[in-house]
Amino acid sequence: MTGRDPQARRAATLAALIVAQGLCAMFFVGDVIADIGVDVAESRFHLPLEAFVATVMIFGVIYFMIELRRLLTRMAEMDTGLRAARGDMAGVIERFFDDWGLTPAERDVALMVLKGIDNETIAGLRGTVPGTVRAQCTRIYGKAGVDGRAQLLSVFMEELLAED
Amino acid sequence: MGLTRASDRGRAGARDIAVWDPLVRMVHWGLALSVLVNGALTDEDGIVHEWVGYAALGLLAIRLMWGIVGPRPARFASFPPSPGAAVRHLGGIVGGDRTVHLSHNPLGALMVYNIWLTVAALCATGIMMGSLRFFGVDWVEEAHEAAFSWLMISVVLHVGGVLFDSWRSGVPLARAMLTGRKSVPADRPVA
Repeated sequence: MTGRDPQARRAATLAALIVAQGLCAMFFVGDVIADIGVDVAESRFHLPLEAFVATVMIFGVIYFMIELRRLLTRMAEMDTGLRAARGDMAGVIERFFDDWGLTPAERDVALMVLKGIDNETIAGLRGTVPGTVRAQCTRIYGKAGVDGRAQLLSVFMEELLAED
Repeated sequence: MGLTRASDRGRAGARDIAVWDPLVRMVHWGLALSVLVNGALTDEDGIVHEWVGYAALGLLAIRLMWGIVGPRPARFASFPPSPGAAVRHLGGIVGGDRTVHLSHNPLGALMVYNIWLTVAALCATGIMMGSLRFFGVDWVEEAHEAAFSWLMISVVLHVGGVLFDSWRSGVPLARAMLTGRKSVPADRPVA
């Protein structure tokens, strides 16, 4: 795997643990299934014990999965914050546009909106009419889940001002 | 566009987007390996064949749980099985739509569910063959064989689809399953 930074290594280790423990749990589940109906003379606690071990391991796997999801989310957030701190606002903006699923035309318009250019000028630059730009803006605000220009900007200000 | 940015390790003019987490990748290659080992290497009646089969079932179970718990691209909600969407996607390919899907594309999603179901069927019939009740029952063995044949056809289609879509979208998909990152050409919209 990538192994470039400690976080990515931790994620890979956690994933490997999940796979290993999941397979161990599978072993016990398989054994329980094989033992059901077979008369195990050695001990009447054999089957319940195996079932208990399998259940505990499955809960362990679920717990590890939730931890891994948290770690991955934190890594993604840190990556965004780091780019903002590095002054790589273009990268941060790209990430948000990707998340929102903007079309190439909408990306273009959104970028100009962020730069503070008004609709008439945007229409002029893109060779369309202001009505089209207004419609595109509405779609952009809808996809971004904001009310308008100011709120769109504040999404990115948030990244710059974020503390951790 | 002013936003085009050569990423840390990607090709010039491409954006690297993290899509496949380590768990998805391990399960994918683990499952591929177990299919290869059981299909080509192990003795069909041997204990190793059985163990590898259980391992494949375990990997499948892990992936299904991860489909509920995991991060966005790994979740079922990101690639619902939808024949309608797959047909529209086909139409889009013919019509020259060049949108890049960050999770599986709708056709790929159908293949994913197909392969999972086939592996599940293989495991189920395999376990049945080893059980007292179904040992030596003809239709179970035939179902096991048929599921394996279908899996081989699916694998060929899967690899073909990956090659075709890598060429069509310009995103090296096999590499993304190794490194976890899709390298998307700058001029492609993503969904």
